[in-house]
Amino acid sequence: MNPAAAQSVLDTDLQFGPAGSARVALRGRLDAQTTVTCWNRLEKHLRGTQLETLEVDASGVRFCDGAGMALLRYLSMGQMTPQAAVSVHGLGAGLEQIFRGFTLQDYEAFRPPTRVKSHPLPEEVGCAVRQAASDLRRQIEFLGSITANLLPTLLDGKRMRWTEVRRVFELAGANAVPIVSLVSVLVGMIIAFEAAQPLAQFGAQIFVVNMIGLVMVRELGPLLAAVLLAGRSGSAFAAEIGTMKVNEELDALQTLGLDPVRFLVVQRITASILLTPLLTVYATFLGVAGGVSVALLLGFPLSLIFHQLTSALHQSDVALGMAKGVVFGAIVSAVGCLRGLQTQQGPSAVGVSTTRAVVTSIVLIVIADAVFSILFFVLKR
Amino acid sequence: MNDAGEIIISVRNLKVGYGENVVLQNISFQVGHGEVFVILGGSGSGKSTLLKNLIGLYTPLEGEVWIEGADIIAARDDERRHLLRKFGVTYQNGALFGSMSVLENVRLPLDELTALPEPLKELAALAKLKLVGLAADARKLPSELSGGMQKRAAIARAMALDPRILFLDEPSAGLDPVTSADLDLLIKELAHHFGITFVIVTHELASIYEIADRVIMLDPHARTIIAEGQPAELRDKSADPWVRRFFNREPDAVASGLHL
Repeated sequence: MNPAAAQSVLDTDLQFGPAGSARVALRGRLDAQTTVTCWNRLEKHLRGTQLETLEVDASGVRFCDGAGMALLRYLSMGQMTPQAAVSVHGLGAGLEQIFRGFTLQDYEAFRPPTRVKSHPLPEEVGCAVRQAASDLRRQIEFLGSITANLLPTLLDGKRMRWTEVRRVFELAGANAVPIVSLVSVLVGMIIAFEAAQPLAQFGAQIFVVNMIGLVMVRELGPLLAAVLLAGRSGSAFAAEIGTMKVNEELDALQTLGLDPVRFLVVQRITASILLTPLLTVYATFLGVAGGVSVALLLGFPLSLIFHQLTSALHQSDVALGMAKGVVFGAIVSAVGCLRGLQTQQGPSAVGVSTTRAVVTSIVLIVIADAVFSILFFVLKR
Repeated sequence: MNDAGEIIISVRNLKVGYGENVVLQNISFQVGHGEVFVILGGSGSGKSTLLKNLIGLYTPLEGEVWIEGADIIAARDDERRHLLRKFGVTYQNGALFGSMSVLENVRLPLDELTALPEPLKELAALAKLKLVGLAADARKLPSELSGGMQKRAAIARAMALDPRILFLDEPSAGLDPVTSADLDLLIKELAHHFGITFVIVTHELASIYEIADRVIMLDPHARTIIAEGQPAELRDKSADPWVRRFFNREPDAVASGLHL
């Protein structure tokens, strides 16, 4: 027989003797493939039998890897034949030494599984409430810290690091222009299209222009700019600062006597407050342009459209939109930085921080928007 | 332990780099079965880059890498996957999967690539952990282990499929001397008892004297191998003063710009 072929297979010889004894003789190669076949055979014939002794003769084993060793150990630990006294013999000196390197004690030391304790519902609710409360507290503390730092840093030109402000301004503002353009134009067009059909039933199709002007200037312009800022830059702030936290760069800043809020946060918030109104104006303008293009398609002359727009919009609407832009920009950047500073240790920590930054930003933007609407309504009366 | 003289890794005229930027060139060496082979060099000399080219993670600009008689660079994807199972790799930071326990990390290759029954997979993985002294920590998450333990767990995972070759990237970086010495002992044991061939990237001199059968030394300026041989021999007899200085751990005050 070809010796190479003989080496690549395993011969399992199973014999049952008198008085509940059995003998397994293994010959050949005991590796990850042959072990599976051998296991199936032994499992079929040995499991559940009332054996008293099991003898495993491994003298014919020419090669044995970790999988084969696991099989020999499984047999010798009596896991397949719990009542039987098992002996494994005949292994070569080297394999024998490896075989003895892992014992039943090692296996049993591992056995007791740790149960995952489930918490009762009231405890879970309590924990969640406590977490929410402490999170709110930290947000308020952070707000205080920003307020305390913003003005002194702004007034102290040397400490302000305007180059960093410029960098953030470019990354979060200028680089966001293409995506803001696309989204705003499309949203403007979609709204105009959707509104044109029901308005046509009342012969009021021209008021599409009034509507798109009001909606874009007062609501959607600031909202689109802020949501895109949260998705692009709020998450980036959290990731940047979070990575610095994981790499102990924040600790390094503190031991150099520098306050992370003054060194990292103030610049990002300043840049965001400056750029969000600009992005808002830009998003509003393009949104309106999208709506106007639909009105042109519907056959209205440009002069009429312009007249409708100017009659629908007041200065206060524009002021409201800009004010929203400033507040939303502050929210997005502050939340992004806060979540970055709150980053925990571990491989998934930065990812968690960025997710939390975006979610919290969007929730707070919507809440702030609601507050604006109520305030404006009350003030107008 | 260098027996039989069977050549297991053969590198011919390798040129590695990133795009236009050539990091190393004219790299040729051979590693014998059961040998502990160390790739050595100062910071920035391209040690890790070379390693990643050897294991097929990066494609070299030129040259051949033969592992157990197969050309890993020219291999098709399916052939390469098969080849990859013949060796294990550990990375500088361990690269254990953070969401899985240590045992699950070690079991993963067995789960994915073998048809072994559950109890045997568990036993085989546990035995590997016992080998590196971590059987008691099998249920812990990687984040609950110390740096040295993570490195050992990574070695256990790399050994899960009983490879004949282990590539280790900076195994003793960031470890204390005792832990580092334990790791050296483990490497020697594995090479001696299991006939595993080691290719190790490091610059820990103490480990090198302890474990290395042979070293090659890379130089960032020459961008190639500047010395090859046994560590003690290079320390005492190398013609290159920089190599002697490296092995004797002498400072290079002029080159580093220090004027004390």
